[in-house]
Amino acid sequence: MRDDFTSDLTHRLKWLYLLGVVAMLLSPVFYVIAISFNEHGFGARIYEFTFDWYRVVAGDTILLQSLEWTAYLALVTVAIAVPMGVLAAKFYRRSRRKVPFLVLMLTPLFVPADIMGSALLVYFKNLTQICEWLGDELGLTFLYGWFELGFMTAVIGMVIYTLPYVFIVILITMSRYREQQTEAARNCGATAWQAFWHVEFPQIRPGVLSACAFTTILTFNETVRTALLKGGFDTFSNVLVSQMLNIGMSGESYAMAGMMSMLSMAVIGGVLIYSLAAAERRERQARARAEPRMSA
Amino acid sequence: MLLFFALPMLLTVVWSFFERTQFWMEPGFTLFAYENFFTSARAENYLYSMFHSAIAVVISFAIGFPIAVFVRRRLPQTAQHQVILLFVLPFMISELVRVFALRPVLGRTGPLNSFLMEIGLIDEPISVLLFTPTGVVIGDVLSFLPFMVFSGFLAMEAVQKYIFEVCDDLGAGRLHTFVDIIVPLAAPGIFAGSVFIFVNSLGVALVPTVLGGPGAVNAGLIVNQAIVALDFPLAMAVSAIMMATLILLLYVGHRLFDLTKIIRPIS
Repeated sequence: MRDDFTSDLTHRLKWLYLLGVVAMLLSPVFYVIAISFNEHGFGARIYEFTFDWYRVVAGDTILLQSLEWTAYLALVTVAIAVPMGVLAAKFYRRSRRKVPFLVLMLTPLFVPADIMGSALLVYFKNLTQICEWLGDELGLTFLYGWFELGFMTAVIGMVIYTLPYVFIVILITMSRYREQQTEAARNCGATAWQAFWHVEFPQIRPGVLSACAFTTILTFNETVRTALLKGGFDTFSNVLVSQMLNIGMSGESYAMAGMMSMLSMAVIGGVLIYSLAAAERRERQARARAEPRMSA
Repeated sequence: MLLFFALPMLLTVVWSFFERTQFWMEPGFTLFAYENFFTSARAENYLYSMFHSAIAVVISFAIGFPIAVFVRRRLPQTAQHQVILLFVLPFMISELVRVFALRPVLGRTGPLNSFLMEIGLIDEPISVLLFTPTGVVIGDVLSFLPFMVFSGFLAMEAVQKYIFEVCDDLGAGRLHTFVDIIVPLAAPGIFAGSVFIFVNSLGVALVPTVLGGPGAVNAGLIVNQAIVALDFPLAMAVSAIMMATLILLLYVGHRLFDLTKIIRPIS
C-alpha cells in the first residue's frame, strides 16, 4: 500500500495513527453498543449479555410508529432528492457559469441544522398565513393548510439538507463519465432518455446507489430539522432525543442508539464492500483488455 | 433551492426587524431584537462560543489534515478512496448518538477516566472533561473532524506527487515542505473544512446542550431558546448574524483562495 521509499516503521506508525483516529471517532459508539447488550445497563460492574433492551424497543408501539414514519420520510426524501441530484449534477457539468450554481447547491452544507430549521419553520408559518389570506381573498379554499407543519414540510427540509450530499456523490461518479459516449449514442439514433438510461446511468449507478444510502442514513439520523418541521408525527431520532433529555440514558435509549449506529454501519459497510468489488471488477476488465489476444 | 433555501435564509434578515407579539411577530421595523442580543449576555456567549469553535478548528486541523496528506502522498491511487471511506463511517452515524455516547465515556466513572487511572497516569478522575467548555470542544472535534479529512483530501489533489520529490531533491525539511508548499497549495480545502467546523461548532445546539452543562451556550442554542420563548425576531436576528458570519468567511476565503478549486477535480 505504499509507493515510495519511506522507512517501514514510519509508514506503519502513520497507519497506526490513521486507524487510531478512526477508532477514537468510533469508540464512543461501540461503547454504547456494548452497553445496549448489557442486562445491567451503564455503570454496572457485571456484564451479562442480553437482547432484552432490544426486545423492549421492538415491543414499544410508539417507537415502532416513529420508525414507520421515519421510513416513509426517508423513502420520499430519496425519491425526490436523488433524481434532483442527478439533474443538478448534469446541469452543473454543462453550465458555463458554474460558481453561482455551486454556491447555491453547497451552501446548505455549511448552515447548521438549528439555523436552517428555524428559518424554514418561520418561513412555513408565513407561507401558511399567506395561503390563508390568498384563500380568503380569492375564495379558493383549497389553498388552506398547504404549508402547515407536517409530513410535507419535513420532506422539504430533508430534501434541502440532503441534496448537497447527493449532488457531490453523483458529481464524483459522473466525473469518470465521458460526454462523448452520450454523443455517440445520439448519433446512432438513441433518444436523449435512451442515451441516458442505457449508456450513462449504468456507469453512474454506484454513485446513485450510494446517494440513496446516504440520504436514507441522513434522514434516519436527523433530529433538529425534523423536530422543528415535522408537525404532528415523531421520527425515531426525535423520540430518542426526548427520552435522553427528559428521562436520561436508560437501557432502552442505549438499545435505540445501538440500532441507529448498527444500521448506519451496515449500510456504509455495504457501500464500502460494493465499491471495493466494483473497483476490483473494473481493474480486472482493464487488465483483460490490455492483455494481447491469442491469434486463432 | 432558491425557494426553500436561499429565500428563507434571506428573509431571516427581514424577519429580524419585525416586532414581537405575544405568540408571533408582525411586520414593522425595529432594532429591538439586535439591541436585545448585543446588550445582553448573549453577545458575550456568542463571542465565547466563537472562541471555542476556533479551538475546535485548530485541533481538528492538527489531527485531521496530516491524515489527508498521508493518504494522498503515501497510498496508491486505487486505495485512497477506500481509506477515506473509513472516515465516512463515523460521520454517517447519528451525531445525536455520537454526542450522547460521549457522556458516559467522558464522565468521572466512564471508561476514559477508569483507563487513565488503571495505567497510573492520574490518581483521581478528571472532571473537566464533561459539562465544561472542554467537553464542548471535545464534542465539536469528534463530531466534525471527518470534514477536515474530506476537504483536506480533496485539496491535496492540487499537490502533485512530483512536488514532494522536488522538495526532497532540493533538501527541504519536512516542516518547510509542509508550511511553505503543502499548506499554501491545499489552502482552499483547509479553509473550507475550517469554515464548516467553525460554523457548525457555533451553530449546532446539541453539543453544548449535552456536554456543556448549564452555562454552555452557542448561537444555535440561543436560537432554540428564543424559539421556545416565542421570541421569533430574536431567533431570526441571531440566525442573520450567524449567516452574515458564514457569508463573510466564505467570501473572504473565496477571494483569497478561490474555493472552487476544491471541486475542480470532480467537475
